Amino acid sequence: MYGHLVRRLLQFAVVLVLGSIAVWAFTFALPGDPATVLLGSDASESELAATRARLGLDGSIVQQYLSWIGHAVGGDLGASYYSGQPVVRELLDRIPATIQLAGFAMTLTLLIAVPVGIVVALRPHSVAGRVLQGYLTAGLAVPTFWLGLLLIIVLAVQLQWLPAASDFVPIWRDPAGAVTATILPAVAIAVHTSSVTARFLATSLGEVMGKDYIRTARAKGVPERDVIRRHALRNASLPTVTIVGLQLGSFLGGTVVIEAVFNYPGLGRLLYTAIGERDYALVQGGVLFVVATFLLLNLLVDVFYAVLDPRIRLT
Amino acid sequence: MSGGALDGATRGGTVHSALTPAADRGAGQPVLSLRDLVVEFTTPAGVVRAVDGMSYDVFGGETLSVVGETGSGKSVSVLAALGLLRTPNLRRVSGQALLGGVDLLTLPEVELRRRLGRDVAMIFQDAISALNPVQRVGHQIAEALRVHDRALTAAAARVRVVELLDMVGVPHADARYDQYPHQFSGGMCQRVMIAMAIANRPKVLIADEPTTALDVSVQAQILDLLRVAREETGAGVVLITHDLGVVAETADRVSVTYGGRIVESGEVTQIFTRPRHPYTAALLGALPRLDTAARRLLPIPGQPPDPSELPPGCAFAPRCPISQGRSVCTEQRPEARPGPDGAGVSACHFPDEAAALLTRADSPGDTTASVSGGDAAAGSPVLDVQQAVARFPVRSGVLARPSAWVHAVDGVSLRVPAGRTLGLVGESGCGKTTLARLVLRLVEPTGGRILVDGRDVGAAGRSQLRQIRRSAQMVFQDPYASLNPRLSVGDNVAEPLRLQGLPYAKRRSQVADLFARVGLRTEHADRLPSEFSGGQRQRVAIARALASRPGLLILDEPVSALDVSVQAQVLNLLADLQRESAMAYLFVSHDLAVIRQVADEVAVMYLGRIVESGSVRRVYDDPRHPYTRALLASVPVPDPVGRADRRRVPLGGDVPSPVDPPSGCRFRTRCPIAVAICAEKEPPLRLVAGGHTACHLADETADLTPEAAR
Repeated sequence: MYGHLVRRLLQFAVVLVLGSIAVWAFTFALPGDPATVLLGSDASESELAATRARLGLDGSIVQQYLSWIGHAVGGDLGASYYSGQPVVRELLDRIPATIQLAGFAMTLTLLIAVPVGIVVALRPHSVAGRVLQGYLTAGLAVPTFWLGLLLIIVLAVQLQWLPAASDFVPIWRDPAGAVTATILPAVAIAVHTSSVTARFLATSLGEVMGKDYIRTARAKGVPERDVIRRHALRNASLPTVTIVGLQLGSFLGGTVVIEAVFNYPGLGRLLYTAIGERDYALVQGGVLFVVATFLLLNLLVDVFYAVLDPRIRLT
Repeated sequence: MSGGALDGATRGGTVHSALTPAADRGAGQPVLSLRDLVVEFTTPAGVVRAVDGMSYDVFGGETLSVVGETGSGKSVSVLAALGLLRTPNLRRVSGQALLGGVDLLTLPEVELRRRLGRDVAMIFQDAISALNPVQRVGHQIAEALRVHDRALTAAAARVRVVELLDMVGVPHADARYDQYPHQFSGGMCQRVMIAMAIANRPKVLIADEPTTALDVSVQAQILDLLRVAREETGAGVVLITHDLGVVAETADRVSVTYGGRIVESGEVTQIFTRPRHPYTAALLGALPRLDTAARRLLPIPGQPPDPSELPPGCAFAPRCPISQGRSVCTEQRPEARPGPDGAGVSACHFPDEAAALLTRADSPGDTTASVSGGDAAAGSPVLDVQQAVARFPVRSGVLARPSAWVHAVDGVSLRVPAGRTLGLVGESGCGKTTLARLVLRLVEPTGGRILVDGRDVGAAGRSQLRQIRRSAQMVFQDPYASLNPRLSVGDNVAEPLRLQGLPYAKRRSQVADLFARVGLRTEHADRLPSEFSGGQRQRVAIARALASRPGLLILDEPVSALDVSVQAQVLNLLADLQRESAMAYLFVSHDLAVIRQVADEVAVMYLGRIVESGSVRRVYDDPRHPYTRALLASVPVPDPVGRADRRRVPLGGDVPSPVDPPSGCRFRTRCPIAVAICAEKEPPLRLVAGGHTACHLADETADLTPEAAR
């Protein structure tokens, strides 16, 4: 267990460094120079040089990276070229909103996916099984943005039950308001992701139900409900944990399209705008956050794996 | 072993003497009865009747052995009776399964589950996969207790489970409670299964091939334990197996299954000495024996019946040696009728003719034994292995550096001359398969020299290696996995010829020749492997190996996956091929009886080393190494007569890890006669009594009487 963890932590650190280099380097691949973007095309050479010096763009490449990453570790990702605000400030403004939406969407995903996956795996030929299989196919096929628009038209515009544009209402301040504000984008996301997750769960659960140890549990006289709960689900959950980890990572990276559709003030929309404005500092900072979050979630998934399956702890 | 814990623990009165179950049966009710059980599946080929009216009774304290080949319905019948068959294509289960007077088939699921594990418990084949990999072993046993006794606290259950683990011979039971199945060996997992099964003192214990995946020494331990478990619980035991040796060692009564029915039942001695069904007699004739080597086995011709198209008459008629086309056999299904003395039943129209098959089987056997011996050993060997070594790294730690080495093969030398067979025998993990793969350099050697036809395999370049591999071919254990399922069997066989660049027409005619040689029908060449049974597939694999006209065949457990009747066909085929073409065979097997049947010379491996080698006669009749002696003593003898006198003392424990083999003699940790020098000095393989034995005490083991050693 210990060796497994240490090895995974080292891998995490190495990949994080490589990822940060990639994030930092990608601004070189884009056309234009941050200084020209800031000052406009008619700025003089001396003005440009002064701005480059201010932004730290005049050193060697290695120096540039080291100073950038040094500042980043200290919580300084520079200032937004556009608003002049510190990048960290801008990100911190949006991260709670993103986490809240991600949390809502993931909760809904699991609430739908686990029962649906179980029914589809165990009773594929029942009426409920067939209906739910239809849901899985539909959930995969329907584009998320289209479902979002549909929800807005029906529930917000016509029935006026819920707001069309979602402001960020922190759940710790106004739980009820938070739910009404976040539920529509969360549903729009969860329909798709729950279909993916349920499919994974149904496949692995179906496979596990045919295993010898399930037969052993039945032969012991364990009631069928407990056979599934105690023996099948934990074994079947491994592939599902992987997919849920990846999904959560993509939620936290910002669900750009849905945030745009619902005008939700999350990280995705922030990055979307920043790219349009060529606000490289903000894009860099945002992407670095996304990369780090993804890697961290992967690490957590691996740790969780080892908790679920004792065999993994050995290797 | 664990006898001490059990003494006096048996329930008074319920334990029948193993020798007189018939006398007790008159009074008692059977604890489990199957009545006209029928199990049908829906398949693309139509309705398949896997169990076709099976009936049997089990009484408390006795062991009923249900014996039969793959697909004879022996396992499916009990799984169906207990409601454990859950495949969606299960079409119908009818008849009765009476457990203490209650028909299990009519019970609602909740009621049925209340009885499973409490009144009737199962022990499955392949215990490692029958245990939940993510749950602690102790919890899994405790669950069996707590699910039937809701009042039992976790702490009390733990105490009871530790007792049970102790009882079934799991050392350090308290620490083992908290471990997971992957930390247990196969034999230990089976002990855990048995502990789980006897936890609630059931009335019926059903063991479904409980020792099939285990080594012989461990098998002997588990069979002993099953006997102890029966005495402990007073349960009636149903032992489902394909192994006639296991039957002879353990059963009181036997039911033989064929084509989904019981074709014969009776007392175990009657079944083995006076069978009243030709299938039973034919099976006994097809079995390689450890005690007497027959010149030639008597296989049952043809293939096991296809349950989707059972004939209208007797299912065995197409393969039956006594039917001889009599119309009653092919037209009328024989009913199970009791014998003249009222004991045992036989479903044969001519039950009295069956026993004659046994004597016929014996006569051509021993008279001509070992004529093939001769003096062929003179010429230069086809295969010459000199001090071969293969080590694999064990990677661990943060940087995955090799921290230890598995000594899979550790200094092995052997030679096989043309036209001869060297049998390589040993338990799983002893390195015999690695050695076989070294010969073709499928595994890179770490040291030593291997010569095939005088050519050095280790030093060969690419093209030379290709030539060597042409002259030394391999036949693998699993004919299902070793044939390409997308190629027709003809193309599978033609593959080596295609690689040699032979034109199509020539390949075609050679494939036809090869098919004829291995006894396959040429017109089947265009079929896919999935259309063939296991035995036929192994013939295809042999034909493929023969295609490049090799001088050496490496046979890695070639008959382990096959049923007895088919196994005999393949063994005879291999013997015929060798006589025709003087190929050398390296025959790897864990089955000592098979090796005795096929080999001229034998080498016994233990933990990467050869501990004893010599002629078959020397190794089997005058074994000098305590390991060989123990192995031979562990093999169940398919002869129930005098089994009470064969006091077998099985080898204790498991094979030690090849990562860290014991100092000195590697066998000393399990050796019954080890002395101080064994830990200090590794015994060399030296000439003893006409063979080679690596034991310090080899000269003294011969003085031990067979009884004492066995």
